Amino acid sequence: MRILLVEDEEKVARFISIGLKAERFAVDTAGDGKTGLQMAVLNPYDLLIVDLMLPGLSGTELIRRVRRQKTDVPIVVLTARDALSDKVTNFESGADDYLTKPFAFAELLVRIKALLRRGAVSRANVIQIADLEIDRLAHQVRRNGATIKLTAKEYSLLEYLASNAGRVLSRTMIVEHVWDQSFEGLTNIVDVYVRQLRAKIDEPFPKKLIHTVRSVGYVINEDGAE
Amino acid sequence: MNSQSIHFRLIVWYAGVLLLVLIGFGAFTYATLRFFSNQVLREAMERRAQQIAALIASDAAAQDPDYVPREVVKRYDPAANDRFVRITDTHGNLYFLSGPPIDHSFAPEEVRVLRDVPEGTASYLVTTPDKCRLLIATRRVHVREESFLIEVGGNLAANDRVLHRLLLTLLGGLPVILGVVIAGGYGLTKRALQPVQTMMRAAQEITLHHLSRRLPTPQGDDEIAHLAQVLNQMIARLDESFQNTARFTADASHELRTPLTIMRGELEAMLLGQSLPTGMRDAIASLLEEVERLVRIVERLFALSRMDAGEAQAERVRFDLAKLAENTADQMCLLAEVKHIDLVCETSSCVEIEGDRTRLKQLIVNLLDNAIKYTPEQGRVSMAVRAENSTALLEVSDTGPGVSDTALPHLFERFYRADEVRSREVGGAGLGLSIVQSICTAHGGSVSAANTPPAGCRFTVELPLASRN
Repeated sequence: MRILLVEDEEKVARFISIGLKAERFAVDTAGDGKTGLQMAVLNPYDLLIVDLMLPGLSGTELIRRVRRQKTDVPIVVLTARDALSDKVTNFESGADDYLTKPFAFAELLVRIKALLRRGAVSRANVIQIADLEIDRLAHQVRRNGATIKLTAKEYSLLEYLASNAGRVLSRTMIVEHVWDQSFEGLTNIVDVYVRQLRAKIDEPFPKKLIHTVRSVGYVINEDGAE
Repeated sequence: MNSQSIHFRLIVWYAGVLLLVLIGFGAFTYATLRFFSNQVLREAMERRAQQIAALIASDAAAQDPDYVPREVVKRYDPAANDRFVRITDTHGNLYFLSGPPIDHSFAPEEVRVLRDVPEGTASYLVTTPDKCRLLIATRRVHVREESFLIEVGGNLAANDRVLHRLLLTLLGGLPVILGVVIAGGYGLTKRALQPVQTMMRAAQEITLHHLSRRLPTPQGDDEIAHLAQVLNQMIARLDESFQNTARFTADASHELRTPLTIMRGELEAMLLGQSLPTGMRDAIASLLEEVERLVRIVERLFALSRMDAGEAQAERVRFDLAKLAENTADQMCLLAEVKHIDLVCETSSCVEIEGDRTRLKQLIVNLLDNAIKYTPEQGRVSMAVRAENSTALLEVSDTGPGVSDTALPHLFERFYRADEVRSREVGGAGLGLSIVQSICTAHGGSVSAANTPPAGCRFTVELPLASRN
């Protein structure tokens, strides 16, 4: 997997690329917008990481121009500003995800992986993980043939985890998807709900499906490994 | 109409002054007319008395005793003119008495005889038994060792009638004039104050949302135009200072976030990477924790300053606060359940307010989170939403330890910690309640806290209800 990182802050660029290389990604870095655009257009990248405040050409403009040529490459935006209007502008110009500095590296990694496997997000009406069955039309959950009653929030949480089965989801991502902006910073709510969910779908059974990924978040899968 | 408004006070003053002037003028007119009309009558009576005196003194009167009565009747015809004429000698013998007047307003023979009348001409006001007021002019005349008293009287009734009419006209005209003046004054002041009203409405709009806008400046060089200009200058300065704040926040945010990103990234990389000695690993983990705390503080500080710069109401929609509160409580009930806290939400139907949904939800989240944090296990947190007059009330009460009286007034100050140990334990940065207050202020509302003996405290948020139209 080849990733282009466009970031003018050298030290930031360094630790991101070291971290990504450690995860066995191939990483190219560009220090300004123009170089970044040239590289993005010339080489076939699997993903772009773009800082917004760039010398030469702004990140927003860079994304807009890349989108004119390569429509499907996933783009993650990094920014030191977090005004809501920025967020909207960047999603409009074609960014796929948005991270506010300072972010946890694990968070970035989780999001990159999620984007790279985006095509694999389950759209099926019934999601099957081992003997757990989630009927998305009837909003029903069964395990080992027995129906399990879940509250609306627990169901949304389970559905989000299950449709990304095998993929680690960070607490922040879960809050963003299952709750909303107002709960930002209240990530302990995720732990509480996951505990509740586990009590219903995991505890009565020998095989555990929901796994904690230390200092990052949660994943649901059969074998516990990513 | 508001009794404090300039509009109202102007009209009241205006009408009051006019009423006084009108009453004064009416009284003056009435008195003057009365004085002059009586004077005219008196002068006429005195002249007549002199003329009759001349008749008595004439040679013809000496030769013919009937000459005077005949001439008086012939020349002045007192009965036909409603006049009174009486001539008596010093012994009280009646020499001449005019007949009853045509209108029978008085009986001449019943008119009181005047005593001690001085020499020359004098005048008296006599009321007859018929309640008729006569103005009588007297004159003494001495002819041929005889002395006569001539009394000539005129009825004041005619004058009184005119005065009465005048009084009626004045009293009747007064309310009409007052009415016209008040109506006119209302129209005039309304016209004159119209630009002020317009400016007020425009200023309201501006202070709430659009500092970039300016007040409409009325045409001309009058006081209102000057006021508008001065206000516009003030808004321009406000606008500038808000923009400066916003720019400073954006810049400072960037400047602080970049080094924090690097610190966090490098520390994380160290932890993930090579095998470190345990002591160093712990030190780095502890550093990372502190960096994360710094990050949280920076985030919240920026959130606060963005709100100060007016971003707290980025969106402005109409919605039901009660429903929002219920949904939010629903989403947070597990947090309470974990601590076996009873979370109750009592809402009345439809408490409509206008504002930024996301921010107001954040306000509720912060208050509930705060309440749940400080309430011991098996406690109770209750939230109530209701409308009172034109205010939406949101109350969050807990059964926690409450807040000490010294801390209560500072609770919403930035970085204030009511209890050092406890706050650190639950991990607050001392900014959650400041954010609550900022959101309230941005929505034209307020928040207050009070202890609820025997245990716990209550936070009350007051927000203006959405207008009915």
